[in-house]
Amino acid sequence: MLEGAGLPYRCALVDRRIRQQDSRAYRALNPTGLIPTLETPQGAIAETGAILLWLADRHGLGPAPGSDDRATLLRWLFFTSNTPHADLRQMFYPDLYVPAAATSAHHARLSARMICHYSLLETAAQTKPELFAPTGILAPYLACLMRWSVLYPRGQAQWFRLADFPALHQMATTLEALPHAKRAAQAEGLGPTPFTAPHLATPPEGSAT
Amino acid sequence: MYVLHQIDDWASLIVRLALEEMAVPCALQTHDFDAGSLNSAEFRALNPQGLIPVLETPDGPIFETAAILLWLADRHGLMAPAPQSAGRGAFLSWFFFVSNTLHTSVMALVYPERMADEAAAPAACAAALARLNGQCALLETTLAAAPPWLNPDAPTILSPYIAVLLRWAQFLAADPACNLDLTAYPTLRAHLRALEVRPAFVRIIKAESLGLTPFSNPQE
Repeated sequence: MLEGAGLPYRCALVDRRIRQQDSRAYRALNPTGLIPTLETPQGAIAETGAILLWLADRHGLGPAPGSDDRATLLRWLFFTSNTPHADLRQMFYPDLYVPAAATSAHHARLSARMICHYSLLETAAQTKPELFAPTGILAPYLACLMRWSVLYPRGQAQWFRLADFPALHQMATTLEALPHAKRAAQAEGLGPTPFTAPHLATPPEGSAT
Repeated sequence: MYVLHQIDDWASLIVRLALEEMAVPCALQTHDFDAGSLNSAEFRALNPQGLIPVLETPDGPIFETAAILLWLADRHGLMAPAPQSAGRGAFLSWFFFVSNTLHTSVMALVYPERMADEAAAPAACAAALARLNGQCALLETTLAAAPPWLNPDAPTILSPYIAVLLRWAQFLAADPACNLDLTAYPTLRAHLRALEVRPAFVRIIKAESLGLTPFSNPQE
């Protein structure tokens, strides 16, 4: 998103190998200990969806408050944040949610739910393609969720195929071909097709998992 | 005129509290879950997922509790820091947190069977309570710093959202032993207490028959 908008920023690695997200300094910025946090002249902002919406409004990058598409943008941004993103988190960290013996049933339910969520997003992307354009805030968010849906959780059978969702597939193909997305993918060691044919990251610093 | 599709004490309550606090007029379209009105062709045409709430506006219908709340706040310039104002980033951080974390935890507490099979549901309910306690502790700390966007005397859309979620968490847990106890969070409870005596909130509390202390100490 930052690369796509040409906004100057610098990265500060949160090193998960030493659980830096739990350090006092990081928790002072973001009490939840989650990544990302964006430090701004107006203070630290947490939550992926909040950061994306704040940047879009600040820099005029999406449907502004008062515009016709604002309600639809908010609908799909909050849906992405509180439904597929929240469900993926459950799939990737099942031990926070169910006992070990129940993990496979939990995974089966959540993967079925996720396919429903992606189907709703596919319909939305077909109906309102301009909101899912690669320069908007939904495309980078969804492309990363789809990348993780292919790669994780490790040790489970493949449950998500991007090709089943043609409009989302096209969005991911267009996005990863753009120069700014290539720069971001290269910086994080994601390879040339991070969204349509992802492989595990080999980041030059830190740890992705 | 807006039309809010609602059922008493469902998530539409959050939107209704905000609309009343904003003094924005709104017509109600009340649904009867047991009579299947959420599955009616008319409602599904409006909202294919059949979810409550939906707010019909002159710009078309809006779905998702949080999307409706933020759209209303920005449209009317009430109950949220304005998009270019200093508190907007911190406010949005907590607003998304309530939508994707607190709301999700309360749903897992009330409906653990949605994510786990029957045998695992009690453990899933207990795990949801443990997460919820961690999230209440974060809110307690945040409230103690008295940020202007979390002030019960000038509520933003965060306040009714938190109040209704914590209302349900205190008496609707699938396992009654897992109902949330707010005793450990006195600042949070005082915030909820201050909200439930605000005149605008009291009007909606009475309209939906939620009792005298629906947020700070809800009764079934």
